[in-house]
Amino acid sequence: MAKKGVTKTAKKTVKKTVKKPAKQPAKKRAVARGSKRRGPRSASERVAGLLVLLPWLMKRKRVRLAEVAKQFRMSEADLVADLQMAAVCGVPPYTPDALIDVFIDDGWVVAEIPTFFSRPLRLTSAEMYAIVAMVRAAQKLPGAPSRSVLTQAVVKLARLAPDATDAPLHIDLPDAPHLEELRTAENDLAELRIEYFNPARSEVAQRTIRVMRIFSDHGHWYVMADDDKSGAIRNFRVDRIQSLVRTGKIYHQADVASRINDDDDDHGWFGDNLELVTLRVRDDAAWIAEAYPTVSRTHNRDGSTDVSLRITSEHWLARLLLRGGRNVAVLTPEKYVTLGARTAKAVRSKYD
Amino acid sequence: MGSPVVKKTEKINAAERMLNLLALLSARSQPITLKQIRAELLNQYSEDNEAARAQFERDKSDLRKLGIPIDMLTLGGAQAGETAYRVNRNNYELTDMGFTDEELRALQVAAATVRLGAQEGEQALWKLGAERVNPKLGPRASIGFSDPHLGTILDAISKRAAVNFIYKGETRSVDAYGMLARKGFWYLVGFDHLRKAQRVFRVDRIESGVTVGKAKSYTMPKNLDIVKAVPTDRQMMAAGDYEHPTAQVRIDASLVHIVTSDFGAGAIVRSEPDGAAIFEIPCSNGYAFRLWLFAMVDKAEVVAPDDVRELAMRWLDELAAGV
Repeated sequence: MAKKGVTKTAKKTVKKTVKKPAKQPAKKRAVARGSKRRGPRSASERVAGLLVLLPWLMKRKRVRLAEVAKQFRMSEADLVADLQMAAVCGVPPYTPDALIDVFIDDGWVVAEIPTFFSRPLRLTSAEMYAIVAMVRAAQKLPGAPSRSVLTQAVVKLARLAPDATDAPLHIDLPDAPHLEELRTAENDLAELRIEYFNPARSEVAQRTIRVMRIFSDHGHWYVMADDDKSGAIRNFRVDRIQSLVRTGKIYHQADVASRINDDDDDHGWFGDNLELVTLRVRDDAAWIAEAYPTVSRTHNRDGSTDVSLRITSEHWLARLLLRGGRNVAVLTPEKYVTLGARTAKAVRSKYD
Repeated sequence: MGSPVVKKTEKINAAERMLNLLALLSARSQPITLKQIRAELLNQYSEDNEAARAQFERDKSDLRKLGIPIDMLTLGGAQAGETAYRVNRNNYELTDMGFTDEELRALQVAAATVRLGAQEGEQALWKLGAERVNPKLGPRASIGFSDPHLGTILDAISKRAAVNFIYKGETRSVDAYGMLARKGFWYLVGFDHLRKAQRVFRVDRIESGVTVGKAKSYTMPKNLDIVKAVPTDRQMMAAGDYEHPTAQVRIDASLVHIVTSDFGAGAIVRSEPDGAAIFEIPCSNGYAFRLWLFAMVDKAEVVAPDDVRELAMRWLDELAAGV
């Protein structure tokens, strides 16, 4: 009991001494906003978060406050507020031993004595399917570690909901040549020379790259790499790599790792410096609104959709217009209004 | 036990009250009434009976939405007719899964290498006691799991309950057999009662909410391969009623590599001295063929048969007429 008294005292002390976290730089704030928390969080959201957070903390007993905030994608201010609130919750008579045992001590979150909420909530069916989908996709990844261990984990999950783990949920990841070579090059920090077909210019060119990340998106594998030609980070579609050899040079991981933003979910597809075009698409060209990252989409009463997207080159837009045919039209900028027709005319001339 | 800590009398925040309510209902072995709850959670609910009832109903509803079942019992005896409430921890807490550290690490790596674009994956991971990690190496896949229909349909499949929704302006009732994630989209394969045949639906094109029918209303077909049931782009090009099943297309040298990896070396009819090649390409589905052909802009030209060549020229003429 004496120990509890100490704990409670510690809580009270902490509450007085906890400093408001320093104002975050703009980039960090943007990440916090990315956690879908805009405006004040509802009571229900805060409770839901705590019912996941508290058992997680009690399992670990002591974790750095900054690590917890990062793990749960929360600002430190929100986290401190939630923990302070939890620390005064429990059951009557609200004596120290009847409260949730969590406090902050010199930058550490401490939850050593499991009083309340020490066991996590059950998985919802959506969470169960999500984890099954993750495991099934992970098992298909080249070089995926621990396939058999993952299978054992799924067997254990099946005890919770046999129907969910048996779910007819299939993941079809694209095949791509060179994927394994890219993976081992990334692993070995080996610089590569590739022959790459660039659809934005319709040409094959040689590039020297240093692999930073390999990822799939919308049915294609991409390699994010440092590109010697442009001096910038570029995403190359793996199936457009026509050949690949190691140059023999080995680079330092720090050279590339420092340039990756791990919270960057859009893989740096399109920068703001790329040209913005607005297209009107309808009927069998409606796929354009779904196939590419768009800046905005507006549905019109006549069934058409106005789509704004950034383009990498005039050639790329010309190709899109040709494929969309008469059901896509450029609204802005003016200079591209006749681009589809001009491209069709040029391609048509090959048939003469 | 030391002296009770005096609870503050000012208005308590709703999150704190909800946590206290859950702790109280979980800790009591016997069901308790709202009157008893208010007495225990002193000053946490409004003094006004109606307002307190509204607050309590809101808390109860929010807790249920979090997956916490609150049992309601109608009392007899001296409290006849009063409702009492109880929460059985065993009904909402996760039992110990017995994961080894190695299994948890494997799940963490799986979660880090597969991006779902939805919070459910991370939530599941935390509940299982694992954490978000960030492996620096290795391929990562993105399969997208944010469509709210996914959970509903998958649940329905596991219960063998038909799903109902509007698709292409028509109400469909579908015995759902399975789902496939491919190229950034989710597909549902099932028996469509409207068409009286097996059909494939793209989930993001469902135009309404999805309602679920009675459980155990159908049986799964045997030996159904969900992956094969959803046609690939290449198969789509061959799935149509155009009179010519294939066309010969001249592909520029710069693209021969890519077209060969898509259609196989067997599709090459002949190679030309400049590195270009003539491919035999399915074109039964004119729309899909056109999308494929024009993706190569001026690097692909239909050479035979004449009908398909003329069709390609007509497409281009129609578009060029806008100049």
